[in-house]
Amino acid sequence: MRRTAILIVPMLAAALLLSCRKSGPNVAAGPRPYTIATIVKLDGIAWFERMREGVQRFGRETGHKCFLLGPAQADAALQVQIIEDVIAQGVDAICVVPFSVEALEPVLRKARSQGIVVVSHEASNQVNTDAIIEPFDNLAYGAHLMDHLAHHMGASGQYAVFVGSLTSKSHNEWIDGAIARQKGKYPQMELVTERIEEYDNQNTAYEKTKELIRAYPELKGIQGSASTTAAGAGLAVEEKGLQEKLAVVGSGLVSQCRQYLVSGSTKLISFWDPADAGYVMNKIAVMLLEGKRPSDGLDLGVPGYTQLRQDTEKPNLFYGSAWVDVTRQNMDAYNF
Amino acid sequence: MRALLHRHEFYLAALTLALSAGIALANPAFCSVANLFDLCQGSTVMGLFALGVLIVLVSGGIDVSFAAIGAFSMYVTSKVLLGLDFQGSAAVALVLGGAIGTLLGLFNAFFIGFLRLPTLIVTLGSASLFRGFLLAFIGTAIVNTLPAGMVRFSKLTLWEMRLADGTIAGLPASFLLLVVAALLVGCVLQGTMLGRGIYALGGNPVAAARAGFNLRGRQLFIYGGTGLLSGLAGVVHACMMRNANPFDLVGMELNVLAAVVLGGAGITGGRGTVLGTLLGVGLIVTINNSLILLDVPSYWQKVVVGAVILVSTGITARTGWARARGAGLC
Repeated sequence: MRRTAILIVPMLAAALLLSCRKSGPNVAAGPRPYTIATIVKLDGIAWFERMREGVQRFGRETGHKCFLLGPAQADAALQVQIIEDVIAQGVDAICVVPFSVEALEPVLRKARSQGIVVVSHEASNQVNTDAIIEPFDNLAYGAHLMDHLAHHMGASGQYAVFVGSLTSKSHNEWIDGAIARQKGKYPQMELVTERIEEYDNQNTAYEKTKELIRAYPELKGIQGSASTTAAGAGLAVEEKGLQEKLAVVGSGLVSQCRQYLVSGSTKLISFWDPADAGYVMNKIAVMLLEGKRPSDGLDLGVPGYTQLRQDTEKPNLFYGSAWVDVTRQNMDAYNF
Repeated sequence: MRALLHRHEFYLAALTLALSAGIALANPAFCSVANLFDLCQGSTVMGLFALGVLIVLVSGGIDVSFAAIGAFSMYVTSKVLLGLDFQGSAAVALVLGGAIGTLLGLFNAFFIGFLRLPTLIVTLGSASLFRGFLLAFIGTAIVNTLPAGMVRFSKLTLWEMRLADGTIAGLPASFLLLVVAALLVGCVLQGTMLGRGIYALGGNPVAAARAGFNLRGRQLFIYGGTGLLSGLAGVVHACMMRNANPFDLVGMELNVLAAVVLGGAGITGGRGTVLGTLLGVGLIVTINNSLILLDVPSYWQKVVVGAVILVSTGITARTGWARARGAGLC
């Protein structure tokens, strides 16, 4: 009996605490606090930890109940399951960063048929969604990385490009944009071989870079797409002592690339802040719940999303211009 | 000479040489010291894993948990040393990683040796368990700044030179670890009663028990030893990559198993040599690292790797039948 009591008391206390949190004071902006679930590809990795900060900040500032969930493995089926769960919980809106856009269409259709607002991110081809918010136009992002690469290469010489995988849509659009920019603006530059896949694996990026250096001794530039290339290629260039000759630019996070920015093998990394992306997704969800439609030129009050551009063909697709460029000079401003 | 022709390793070495000659003809850049060093470096982690898998395969078992053990050891070692703000030598990291790996290996050994569960089931289960425990309780964030000693170790080379084109070619010190491990495993397997007992166990466990071999003790050695090698491989991998990513290494299982089988180890036990295993690893690493030199497009790279594995394991199987009797003992 005493043992049961020992168990029950803390459980009651915990339940009390939880219920307090639920019924705690709300500074709701709208008529009532909404419950908004943000479902990401993968829980636990630095990128989505950072996004969670943005989602929670939005919840604190507005009084809505905002939380972030994701599967422990990057797996479309697991993500579908989590979305089923939050539908059953009766959330008001779902913000989603799909692992596989196609795999989520049925479950998102179900959500919308129950009156749940759906906002997507990194999913320009999503059909069953109320609004898609992209950090930037993919072609423009790739082209801007190419401008930086060309700058470090003196606008001439051989370069190579990496993608995470040939099926990864955004990576390939970035590279499409980059190659188009090179052909148009930097005719002295030459792409040595087709897009190299590194499967979002830093080790593979490193090995392939070493092989590129061997196969193309005159190589002067590498543009990466996955966040792992900027670090993996940077390590290879540093080991070979080629910092002065071979420039690496690409997407990446400061925490991953700091040592290569310092050694000068990786010249510049670019990213968009996942916290901001999480914040604006939730903000758009609330707008939609309150019956307001986002429109061209909308200002969301977050850097990079102050003037949204509406897609000409797909009216629910919006682009920000939220990329952030980081070099050795300004890297200390970012702690993720 | 006839004995040489009967040896699987001979065919494997010939195949590797022929392949290398082909690549060198297509792109002379293959024949350089820098490339040789790169291949050695690329073989180190895979080689350490493969030696562990070899011991298990020889004993008639199979292990699919080694990559999870490697990831676990590397991540925990990095976390612990960072937590202690440890500034000393990477040797401590290697010892710690090896010890963690050994413990996890003994965990496998307990279920296999004492509860007599099938090795595939046990290691499938423990791989998932180790991985899940690592991610759930220890952490998921990539460690991007390793302890100073491990970074120093990653920059340490046995031999280094600056080439005419301004690049640096170096043979990393960690390669020495693979050489030492290979010698040790070779000596144990070939030259000790412990090793002969492992072959006997793989050949026919009932006969081995009747011959008086202590099988339980051997299971402890087999899985503990594999764990040790996997733990070392994990730490070396972290040093080479200069980060510890708990999501890393998984997915290597098939390539490593393919390399060991390619090296002549029988999947049914009782057969396999260290030399063959190293040749198998060398062949797979050479293929994987030469496709850009040959300008093979990305999708085709997978086709080529798959085809080479199929053809060479096919040859392995054929020569294996030819000398099935008393095979593998030398």
